[in-house]
Amino acid sequence: MALVIAGRIVPLDRDDPTAVFKGRVFIDDSGTIERVTASGAAEPSGFAGAPVLDVGDALVLPGLIDLHNHIGYNALPLWVEPRQKVPFAHHDSWTRAPTYQASISWPAQTLVAAAPEALLAYVQLRALVGGTTGIQGWPSANRKSVQALRNVDDETVGGTNRNLIRTSALTLKPLDLGEMAQAQRQGAGFIYHCAEGQVGSLVAREFVDAANAGCLGKTFIGIHCNAIAEADWQRWEKSRAGTVVWSPFSNLWLYGTTTDIAAARARGVTVCLGSDWGPSGAKNVLAEIKVARLASESLGLGLTDQALVEMVTAGPGDALARCWNKGVGRLAPGAFGDVTVFRPDGGGSVWRRVVEAGEDDVMLVVYEGIPRYGDAKLMTAAAGLARSSPITIRGRRRRFAIGDPDNPAGAWSWKEITGRLKAVRKDPAAALREARRRREAFAGPMDAADAPLELVLDMPFGEAPMAGDIMDHADEIVIPPLPSLLHDAAFFKSVKGRGFHGGLLDRLADFYR
Amino acid sequence: MSPRGIEGDVRPLAWGERLDILDALTMVLEGVYVHLPLKRALYGFDVIRGLANLRQQVPSLTDLEFHRELTSLVNRLRDAHTQYRGPWMVPDAVASLPFLVEAFGPADRPTYVVSKIDRRAIKDRRFVPGVTIEYWNGVPFRRAVEVHAERETGGRPDARRARALESLTFRALEFAPPPDEEWVVVGYRDREGRARQVRLAWETIEPGRAPVASNKVGTRIRRGIDHAAEAVRRAKKFRFNRGLWRAERAAPFADFLTARTVTTRSGRFGYLRIWSFDVDDDQAFVEAAIRLLRRLPDRGLIIDLRSNPGGFIWAAERLLQLFTPHPVMPTRFALRATPVTSALARAALTRAELAPWAASLFAAERTGEPYSSHLPITPPERCNDVGQQYGGPVLVIVDANTYSSGDLFAAGIVDNRIGPVLCIGEATGAGGANVWRSDDLRAALSSAKVPLPQLPEGVSFTVAVRRAVRTNDAEGSLIEDAGVAGQPYEMTRRDIFGSNRDLIERCGEILAAQPRTRLEVGHRGRARTLSVRTGGIEELDLYVNGRTGGPTIAVNRGGTLRVPLPPHAREVELVGFAGGVVRQRRRLTIARRP
Repeated sequence: MALVIAGRIVPLDRDDPTAVFKGRVFIDDSGTIERVTASGAAEPSGFAGAPVLDVGDALVLPGLIDLHNHIGYNALPLWVEPRQKVPFAHHDSWTRAPTYQASISWPAQTLVAAAPEALLAYVQLRALVGGTTGIQGWPSANRKSVQALRNVDDETVGGTNRNLIRTSALTLKPLDLGEMAQAQRQGAGFIYHCAEGQVGSLVAREFVDAANAGCLGKTFIGIHCNAIAEADWQRWEKSRAGTVVWSPFSNLWLYGTTTDIAAARARGVTVCLGSDWGPSGAKNVLAEIKVARLASESLGLGLTDQALVEMVTAGPGDALARCWNKGVGRLAPGAFGDVTVFRPDGGGSVWRRVVEAGEDDVMLVVYEGIPRYGDAKLMTAAAGLARSSPITIRGRRRRFAIGDPDNPAGAWSWKEITGRLKAVRKDPAAALREARRRREAFAGPMDAADAPLELVLDMPFGEAPMAGDIMDHADEIVIPPLPSLLHDAAFFKSVKGRGFHGGLLDRLADFYR
Repeated sequence: MSPRGIEGDVRPLAWGERLDILDALTMVLEGVYVHLPLKRALYGFDVIRGLANLRQQVPSLTDLEFHRELTSLVNRLRDAHTQYRGPWMVPDAVASLPFLVEAFGPADRPTYVVSKIDRRAIKDRRFVPGVTIEYWNGVPFRRAVEVHAERETGGRPDARRARALESLTFRALEFAPPPDEEWVVVGYRDREGRARQVRLAWETIEPGRAPVASNKVGTRIRRGIDHAAEAVRRAKKFRFNRGLWRAERAAPFADFLTARTVTTRSGRFGYLRIWSFDVDDDQAFVEAAIRLLRRLPDRGLIIDLRSNPGGFIWAAERLLQLFTPHPVMPTRFALRATPVTSALARAALTRAELAPWAASLFAAERTGEPYSSHLPITPPERCNDVGQQYGGPVLVIVDANTYSSGDLFAAGIVDNRIGPVLCIGEATGAGGANVWRSDDLRAALSSAKVPLPQLPEGVSFTVAVRRAVRTNDAEGSLIEDAGVAGQPYEMTRRDIFGSNRDLIERCGEILAAQPRTRLEVGHRGRARTLSVRTGGIEELDLYVNGRTGGPTIAVNRGGTLRVPLPPHAREVELVGFAGGVVRQRRRLTIARRP
């Protein structure tokens, strides 16, 4: 069914990027934007019976895109290694830390093994609450699962080609990089965890290898790249400039420094934002914008609020559209109907409004023409599009629409989702045993729709002693309490005085007062 | 400019681009390369495995190392048709030393001499044509030739040595990396017998291509040619015979055909030099040859094909008919039957060209037959549409550098019993295939929805697509790696420095021993009679418009006679017999009455 959203449209128009006007966004029943019009303009045909969500003076933006994450870890709280007194050198340093496995690998593996559907529902809702409609960094799976957000890694754009985007969270061997470059020459995008660490550390070699392999082109999406010295950015030819994903929260948390954004922008590289993951990142990309502003102010980058908003909308949208051949990240005809609506605050710069918005200010999130999260009133008005369940966010009644894996026509409830995760937390060993029993009892093909969902995490399992299967350590596994979906007092308390950010991230709390 | 300077201008390839090259080559060699089973069997070398191994080494090789490795791998197929062209490619450019080395004497004890020099680039006044080469960068010269031959194409050792001797001083930069050394030190014995040495630097020359050289797509997919040898041939002419090089600008086919009369102790003979078949217009080429033949004595003809690198297959095979009264049977070709060649037979761009092979390729999908049917590339009717134009006996000279369409021409001479072949070396160069360029192959495969990986700018390759087999007495024999053998001949010092004097004398002896007949047919305007002069002919048969034109005409040996024509005569053919055997055949078209 089609959908119409009326409000103050901020389309991030390619030809008029500062445009803001009262109007409507028409999304057809395939989830594609049919037209974006000013108020009073004629309605396209086929929308006569479509629900109209009139959000008044609220800001209607393209859905926010979190271009770097590891969502399988987003049920975990911020992590620090107690014995680490200086910033980590690079991405292989902290995976060798003494508490990495017990704090991160084992709990995450247990949750994805024992309650995969509930985990995916929880982490998707965490992103929706922050206005996100598309996110990168999904665990790979044996079959399709309930999806309320765009899976950047596995988007088929309506077809069957699952190779539009290649992704690697791990360092690739040179020959593998060469093969990625070949795929890029055929039009594929390549999202690569590249050179994550301190400038001067050995992981800078990953960027040099990517350059030698021929990966540094328009469809290369380099994640982190914070180990790259200014001189090495010169390897990326301006005429072939692609994209870098900046995760300032995570960088500062682990390394005390972050990506040389000025050098990247000087090469014409598009900078986007990613909130990374629970153990060292913000809870959603809406918070990451605020960290980016803090970093810009601290480092003198001079990033405007509009530039910051583009880092989660048009910037990643354009990077992905190069691979998908379908628009995203801008409200334009033919683009995906992904929309985020922010509550009005009575005037002023729309860009500043978005940068400073908190979870309270997210009124509605629409993924592919279907409202997935928002104010109860709006969600109820569009009830014909998707069944939803209630949830209370900071005392405000909201609803979210994430399908029940056992009943696709129904909506999953917050209680049921968290109930399953809490059950795993209560007795991880029993939950793991039950998951194994379920898997081994299944008689059909493992990619069948009714097969047990098997997720594979995308981060290293760590290098501390760990013999064989996780079941060998089942009795040692401790899963921390489920964090809230919000940037709340508990979160800010866990930030202050921890990590290697030198106090910069303490100021994130100011946006949420 | 030094050839090494080229390297500095070349953009290094990214690893992904190198992998694309390897993947494209693997796909084409596995799926299209017609000699793959033969080369595996003959040389015990698996190029596909070699490419897979090189794939693993891609990130650890420098750019030039990669290109050298790949060139070396492909050259191990010993196939001048199947060549890799790296990004250093400079079309039509040739790295050259300012002199030419040739060999004479028996094959097991050759003497290497400087045959030509470019005085502009050599200051040593004692280094002149005629001095004997003894050392090459301190290596005894014969060993230097052997070592260099290991890098060369050519199925037989003598063919590789012949190519090595040439490429020691001339290398086509379109097909090979620049020479490793920037100069060579040549140890030679001067005319007074004193040992000396001279240091000579490589230079790059660009002779360009002849104005009528092959370029059109219709020709490109019907070629049999060693492109590198063709470039070297032109470079030699440019360097040592600039006057001849300029002449081709005025006379369209002067780069491909020259003719003169030679006088020997056995008599005066015609001498037709066919330098190359690399033309676009086979009809104009045949007509140019006919014009030259008419100026030559009919006592006998020497056709010199030495170092002919080949070219347009139609041009070579259509030329054969000029020298025989019998129908010419062209060489037959086959493709390997694979999913890729089947796709090519279905592809929009190559469907018409491969139509004759399509049925057998499609049948092979069910039967497992490894090759398609063997069918001619040159339509038989085009091989017989002009008819005999030269009535005297014919002899062909070849050497180990006579290649591809040159091989086909020599095979046609032998298999159609046109005349003997005199061979310097063991046989012709043994290039029995039709060669396609990667860009043509890529376009065809793309239209067949079998995409070839995109090659980086400046990178291409050529590949043998259809293999040739001989006809008639040699029916089904492969030319690749075997060549066409003939009566052996050893070059002499007098040949090298005296315009092939001994060679021509030997040819004269052979031609003089051949039976000789003559048939000259004249016709003026719309006259209803033919004026006929014969020599050695006993009977004549007349055919009018494809039918018998009357009873056999008895002829006195060496007689002159008039043959009346019926009023409706349009196409007339006169066939001369001696000893009951067809010796001469002429065709004429009679103009209609107004």
